[in-house]
Amino acid sequence: MQSIHPLTIGIPGKRALAALATVALTASAQAQFEARNEGVFRDRVDWGVMMDLSGPASGSQGIWTNGFQAYMRTLNEKGGVHGRRINVLAEDSRFNPAQDKINYEKLSTQTPVLAISGMGSSSSQVSLAPTIRGGKIPIVGTYTHTKPLSEPVSPLVYGGFCTYPEMAKAGVGYLTDKLKVTNPKVMVVSIESAGGVEYAQFIADAVKKYGGTSSLVTMKITAADVTPQVLEIIKQKPDFITIYGVGNTAILTMKAMHQYGLKIPAFGISYLMSPQIYAAIGPEAGAQYNVISCFTPGGADKSAGNVEMMAAADKYNHSAMKEDINYVAGWVAGQMAAQALQLAGPQPTRAKLVEAMSKGFTVNTNGLAAPIVFSPANQSGPSSFRMFGYDYAAKKYVAFGEFADYDKYMK
Amino acid sequence: MLIQVLLSGIALGSIYGLVALGFAVIFKATDVFNFAQGMLVAFGAYFAVTTINLLGLPFPVAILAIVAASAALGVIIHVVFIQPLSGRPMLAVIMLTIALSIVMRAVIEILYGLQGRTLTTPIPTGIFMIGEVRVSQLHLVAASVSWVCMAAFFAFFRFTPIGLLMRATADGYEAALVSGINVKVMNRLAWGIGASLAAVGGLFLGQLQIVSTELEHIGLLALPAVVIGGMQSIPGAIIGGLLVGLIEQLAATYISPKSTDIVVYGLLLMILMVRPWGLFGQRELGRV
Repeated sequence: MQSIHPLTIGIPGKRALAALATVALTASAQAQFEARNEGVFRDRVDWGVMMDLSGPASGSQGIWTNGFQAYMRTLNEKGGVHGRRINVLAEDSRFNPAQDKINYEKLSTQTPVLAISGMGSSSSQVSLAPTIRGGKIPIVGTYTHTKPLSEPVSPLVYGGFCTYPEMAKAGVGYLTDKLKVTNPKVMVVSIESAGGVEYAQFIADAVKKYGGTSSLVTMKITAADVTPQVLEIIKQKPDFITIYGVGNTAILTMKAMHQYGLKIPAFGISYLMSPQIYAAIGPEAGAQYNVISCFTPGGADKSAGNVEMMAAADKYNHSAMKEDINYVAGWVAGQMAAQALQLAGPQPTRAKLVEAMSKGFTVNTNGLAAPIVFSPANQSGPSSFRMFGYDYAAKKYVAFGEFADYDKYMK
Repeated sequence: MLIQVLLSGIALGSIYGLVALGFAVIFKATDVFNFAQGMLVAFGAYFAVTTINLLGLPFPVAILAIVAASAALGVIIHVVFIQPLSGRPMLAVIMLTIALSIVMRAVIEILYGLQGRTLTTPIPTGIFMIGEVRVSQLHLVAASVSWVCMAAFFAFFRFTPIGLLMRATADGYEAALVSGINVKVMNRLAWGIGASLAAVGGLFLGQLQIVSTELEHIGLLALPAVVIGGMQSIPGAIIGGLLVGLIEQLAATYISPKSTDIVVYGLLLMILMVRPWGLFGQRELGRV
């Protein structure tokens, strides 16, 4: 048997040893690397979430948070990212911009996190926009989209939900085509909020392309009756309406329109897709109610992403919410966060994460949405849409066409 | 259009009146300004979801169960939280009811989750026409039941021996005690009645929209209703509720939905400044 003295190892052997040593050193450095004041520890990364976990919007934002956490739990079970598990620190915004300011400061310095996802309230986004844009923490996968936070493009902000301008274009285009109307007359039914006013403007812009007109009627987020709003709809006789708000906004509007015998087609913003809404309004009113979405809700198809998400939801006792659009949105935001963290490398810091993301990246959602492409010029997030309805007999959503079919409306 | 708006205002106002009546009964009997009244409305709606949708009880049985469970909840609140604070400053009791409402909200969110629930009952939800006016069957039933409840409790206070004892307790705590009335039982009864009325309101509000903890905010519209009607007045609470419902709908239709809070709370401010004892309350006179 030939023995090899270490000093007699040939050049290729030395190279192999050197490479091995480098790998070992790198692995050791990676295992040692920490940036505790940015939420990075040897074995975990702290990742913040700011969402309404109580208050009037908690019904949707709480579900989003569950979807986000479910994705991270699934990821952690597979070993996490670069050997670190993701520890989600969820702060309750309580539908209160002042509370969000406190939460943001907390996640910046007191229990520091590498990045934040969610930021659910449009009013909070508007009030915190200057602080976020001037800060150092990236916001990855926002739940809602507001101009002050998203425009002009900032390397710190990455959208994670269907954007309102695109919802407006796709929804107005689809219903104008489907109903074969020219110069469509559209009404926006909205809760009183900054986002509602912005959405109404996007609808006005979208309708103008078809030579139509639009108007806005508002209600309180906690309204119990919308008779005045429905009387206004009767007065204006729109070709179709679009609804912005929370689940209750859609339920009250559709139920009241049904009670007044109105059969006016309607589409809700993506957030308003949940089996509870369809169950509450019933099949007759539900036949008129559609939702424009950039996500495919749980159970609507058999894509790999959808199957994995549905299985995880059952595993983590989220079965009751797996068909809610907010659950899939939270899951996809988790995919975005994981992809961004992967790009930041084995020694992630806030600066490295921002640098990696700002060059652009693509998130493959495994069929839960069209591939989400971020570029230095466009960081608004999911941009392909399609309309969904609900099949009461089969108790599942029905997609009207493919995402690509709606590209013609987006120009 | 005006008739349509008035009808929906009366329906909504009747529910507010029912909740406000519960609030007034508790205040009149125990001097407690109950900020948890809104959560009692929400609890009533969740009791309805549990008995009707989850347990599948027959509707009449479910109604009895909702009223009984709510009354029991009211009595428990009085025995465990309110009675031990008897004689303490009003501020301490107010803080207690605020804390109680926060705890109740958390309990609901833990037990039922964050998602709102759909309440499906046999109450008809269609409409019928009277001339050009569309009348919602749900509105009609809600208003009718509210008025029957209000009339029944009015009669109870007016014509039954227990009602008489409750009124005597409300009019003078010490005099009632001296007369041998079991004041604690009367107060518990008041909390039971107040919680039951809130629960019936919650049943209808839960069906008008969706059952969630946000029903608390609608339930709290009972506060301006009782202040406008008169804190110590049972009929005042009912009429105050009606006024709030009507004003809300008229302001939303003819001014703007944003104006409803301004108009309702503007009226409340005006009443507090000009006639602090409310439209139907009695002015308290003190001897100097």
